[in-house]
Amino acid sequence: MDLIYFRGCMGRERVPEIVRATRQILDHAGVSYSILEDEECCGSVLLRTGFREDAKEKINENLNLFSDSRLLVSCAGCYRTFKIDYPRLFNVKVDVIHSSHLFYQLLEAGEIQIKGDLKVTYHDPCHLGRHCGEYDAPRKVLEAIGTLVEMEDHHMNAQCCGAGGGVKSAYPHIAEKVAQERIKQALNTGADILCTTCPFCKYNLKSHRIKVMDISEIIANLMGVPRSTKIN
Amino acid sequence: MEIIEDPMIRELKETVKNIRETSIKNLEKLLQRVGESFEDNDIEFYIAETGEEANNIIYDIVKDEKTIAKSKSNTLTEINLVKFLEKKGLEVIETDLGDRIIQLTNDKPIHPTAPALHFNMEEIADTINEKLKVKVDANPEDIMNTIKSDVLRKLEDVNVGITGANAVAAYDGSIVMVHNEGNIGLLSLKDTHIVVFGIDKLVSTLEDAISVAKLETVYATGSRVPSYIGVVSGPSKTADIQKILLKNMYGASRVVAIALDNGRRKAPPECLWCIGCGTCITSCPIYNVVGYDFGYKGYLGGRGVAFTNFIEGERASFDAGIYMCTLCSRCTTKCPLEVPIADIIEEVRCKVQRAGYKLDAHENIKRNIKETGTPFR
Ligand code: SF4
Ligand code: SF4
Repeated sequence: MDLIYFRGCMGRERVPEIVRATRQILDHAGVSYSILEDEECCGSVLLRTGFREDAKEKINENLNLFSDSRLLVSCAGCYRTFKIDYPRLFNVKVDVIHSSHLFYQLLEAGEIQIKGDLKVTYHDPCHLGRHCGEYDAPRKVLEAIGTLVEMEDHHMNAQCCGAGGGVKSAYPHIAEKVAQERIKQALNTGADILCTTCPFCKYNLKSHRIKVMDISEIIANLMGVPRSTKIN
Repeated sequence: MEIIEDPMIRELKETVKNIRETSIKNLEKLLQRVGESFEDNDIEFYIAETGEEANNIIYDIVKDEKTIAKSKSNTLTEINLVKFLEKKGLEVIETDLGDRIIQLTNDKPIHPTAPALHFNMEEIADTINEKLKVKVDANPEDIMNTIKSDVLRKLEDVNVGITGANAVAAYDGSIVMVHNEGNIGLLSLKDTHIVVFGIDKLVSTLEDAISVAKLETVYATGSRVPSYIGVVSGPSKTADIQKILLKNMYGASRVVAIALDNGRRKAPPECLWCIGCGTCITSCPIYNVVGYDFGYKGYLGGRGVAFTNFIEGERASFDAGIYMCTLCSRCTTKCPLEVPIADIIEEVRCKVQRAGYKLDAHENIKRNIKETGTPFR
């Protein structure tokens, strides 16, 4: 089945480093995939801010674009939208996988081999954790890389980064304050890196007090030289 | 071990979930049934479609009074009872300590819903000294005792006590009220006791009502039980003299129950499962940084803001901060009833947006997506 890497608006325009790292990993592991040059909004931001009709129009267009392909996403918001909202609103099933899950599979299959001694704490994006119940895959990846230390609130109890639901765009100062609370929890763990699996979270949690990275960036960093180069 | 992890409490939570879901499903039946039960129990009963209707029913009962007293109740706040009665020339005494302090400080420029918690001790003492013409020191016991004796003195001349209810048993015609201060006990012993409750407070039996009250207390306070759970199932009566029925022994001779709809029937059932424990408020990341501005009157946090839509309409829920929620669902995982607050808010946002209450930031994003396929350009 075809795999489409759906980069998402944040990946395309605000945090391209996540897309870069993800593609590096996919190439390294020899995963074949395509990118939609004319990729547009998944519909999430419209759905969350009360524009359901506009979202449905967009979703309809997207469904034609995807046909039966499997979707790979880096964004927790895209993930929830494809996984929960597309079926709910259009009675279709979308085959979607979050990058952290795919990375875990690649790791398990030995397609990527990484080792490190990082001390990392993990921020559960609300749309991935509480909304979709995906807590384990990112943690397993991080445990393989180094030491995972949990914040005071994690898994189901995780604190929000503050960006979701259109809050970042409408009330940036509130989003910022919520992020600071989360950063405090991350600092308390003594971790070197605050890892997350959502570009919105990464963007909003950005801090000069701790390094905030998407899981793809951590893997890509540790992976080093791409396999194709090694073989040559 | 946290109390909510206690196996008995977990079981209670499941029981109450079941009670609330069934009750809301059978709301119309319970509403009809409670009327019959109240009649059997000699409790006067009214259904008020709106807050105004409720206020008028109350006014009709108290219009000859000079002063009445009330307890803390979100439902009474919702219908603006105090303002309404004051406009009609009645004096209304708040008996809840915090509410009484706010009432006394009323003319000070403070946030209208801020609790006494927000004042420092000196401010409270100053106000009391000025308003009650006393001289108390700024310490909590003196403040409490001064307010207590003042309220008790005033209560001597009060004939009508007005309270809310935490749960109402439709088949038994019983009203359950939770309190710690003892004030609701005092109010229910006045000649006339008026109880106002949202129709969503109905459950089938007294046992169900007690379960709800207990779980609410556990989640709200971390204690297994409150100091008092009061049950009123009729006027005070005796037949000790030759089996002749006499009313108004120590308690009320007249009990009046008013069930308030005020838009509740329009709300999705899940929104009405709520037992008012406040866990969704304290666990909300937005409430924790924004405070009372994320809410409407006593209805705070995401559930409160969503609920506001059904009782006050689109404008009110917009003002209450319907767009402040990040839809993170932390509240739902903490809520004993697992009320899907984010889903309800998303639904309400569609209505609010269609009514024209939206934010420029979101409107721009929508336009960008339409024109260029991306939110940012
Ligand atoms: S919605 Fe909030 S107040 Fe209502 S039961 Fe749930 S946690 Fe308690
Ligand atoms: S979903 Fe909204 S109301 Fe609930 S905890 Fe998150 S921000 Fe607060």
